[in-house]
Amino acid sequence: MSSATKATSIRFSGFGGQGIILSAVVLGDALVIHRGLYAAQTQSYGSEARGGQCQSELIVSEKPILTPIRATNDILVAMFQTAFNTYVDSLRKGGALFVDSELVKDLSRVPPETACHSIPATQIASGLGNKMAANMVMLGYFAGVTNMVGLEHLDSALAENVREQFLDLNKKAIRAGFDLSLGKA
Amino acid sequence: MEKGQREKGQREKGQREKGQREKGQREKENRVLSGVHFMQGNYAAVEGALAAGCDFFAGYPITPANEVSERMSQRLPAVGGVFLQGEDELCSINAVAGASLAGAKAMTATASAGYDYLQEGLEYGVAVEAPMVVVDVQRCRGENFATQADIMQVHWGPAGDHEMIVLAPSSVQELFDFTVRAFNLAEEYRTPVIVLSETTIALMRERLVIPEADKIPVVNRKWTTKTPEEYLPFKADSEWGVPEFSGLGRGYHTIYSINPHDEKGSIEWDPDAFERLYTRIPAKVARNRKKISTVQRYGLDDAKVALVAYGSEVRPCIDAMDVLREGGKKVGVMKLDAPWPFPEEAIEELSKNMDLVATVEMNVGKYAGEIERACRGRCRTARVTKNRGLIHSPEEILESLSGFEEVR
Repeated sequence: MSSATKATSIRFSGFGGQGIILSAVVLGDALVIHRGLYAAQTQSYGSEARGGQCQSELIVSEKPILTPIRATNDILVAMFQTAFNTYVDSLRKGGALFVDSELVKDLSRVPPETACHSIPATQIASGLGNKMAANMVMLGYFAGVTNMVGLEHLDSALAENVREQFLDLNKKAIRAGFDLSLGKA
Repeated sequence: MEKGQREKGQREKGQREKGQREKGQREKENRVLSGVHFMQGNYAAVEGALAAGCDFFAGYPITPANEVSERMSQRLPAVGGVFLQGEDELCSINAVAGASLAGAKAMTATASAGYDYLQEGLEYGVAVEAPMVVVDVQRCRGENFATQADIMQVHWGPAGDHEMIVLAPSSVQELFDFTVRAFNLAEEYRTPVIVLSETTIALMRERLVIPEADKIPVVNRKWTTKTPEEYLPFKADSEWGVPEFSGLGRGYHTIYSINPHDEKGSIEWDPDAFERLYTRIPAKVARNRKKISTVQRYGLDDAKVALVAYGSEVRPCIDAMDVLREGGKKVGVMKLDAPWPFPEEAIEELSKNMDLVATVEMNVGKYAGEIERACRGRCRTARVTKNRGLIHSPEEILESLSGFEEVR
């Protein structure tokens, strides 16, 4: 499929309240506004304010995106075990997986040749003073590994999408994740 | 900004200009957010409305249309407009009609179950020729699941005689563009216009480019220059014409009644007056069908098979077309920007050139009946339907088509 094959599908997943959708929005914003790419972000979540299953798919492409959802994802980010269990089967062979090492411990059913990244995002966020920033630690790490987007672009996208009082914390969290990715590289 | 022409020759001119200056001072934010955005569809509809000059919004909460009200409640007052949370949908649509008759560019937004409640207000808007814009974010399974099941209701919902204008955006960009256009068509033809949105695009974020304000075409209703003594509120210049507008509270004392009325606006039960009124009201839209119901053609020049779709379903259709064309199949897509008024001429032309016309829609198969009627047996027809709360994948469309020899 001409338009589909050039696109990358990233699924962010976890439970409601972890900032799963925000991760996809901030990354999409950075890619569209600062890298001039096309992105389509869709989402689903339970009617609970917190605690239900939550996922957001971000498709990124150099061309306009038609069908906005994919049966298989190139990259899966899972911030909780139940989310991992639900979505791991839609990760394609040879794709990439990012999980929170404390909250996703059972990595069975990972497809062959998957590049697995397991990092203590929630623990690092707690160290920064608020475990709610785990999503941004993961996003910073993700950015460092995939090279899809620069830190300055994420900072600028954050400013568009996060309330000012939480901006500093989120920027620190992104930087912590990014630094961790460099240390591993 | 758009008020300049309205004023010409009208009484109380000075008073209104004073009012405008005051309104100008209330504008704390830019009305048009020109630039590149990564924006949700519901927000894009709001920005389109504001760019078109919307200055009144009334609505009642319902998912997945809530972000329209949410953003309107912040943006509209900041550009000098009025936001009203109605006690229900009926209140909202009637407030929209009233604001429109007072001269405002007015809009409401709701989702399928809420759209049911709007029918009386829409019938009224048709009868008194009040420009108004309604966004219906279609949903199903009682929640935020995608569907195109309202496609017939958005035309035939209200009782009585009318030719509804319904625009069906396929993307976040079109939610902006088509909402601008909805206001322009509502003003031009003095009639309700529906923006037929869907969960899929309303809750999706995409690249949106908002042009500079002076690059966005804005149409305003034709305000009368006649005195109240000369003015006939429902007199048009032809059997399909649009009357000049006067506006409530300006000394014209018009009765805006849902009952049959004559050119003066007097309630008139006479069959001749009724027939005259309800010939003109549908005709003012139907006569301009080709202009209103534009279509986009993809790969149709050499095609023998056409997929016909509107709204979000156009997207997997083009993906499916690309796959089939890579396999050497001569397949094209016709995108209907405005399913209503029905693009009769475009479908007739299509049926003369194709071996197979397949309607692709996200419901049990509704609009397909109209397409089949218009094809009049000149070609084979097919229905590719899905009614599970999720947009078609290209693979599902290919699977549905695989049974047809024209595609094999």
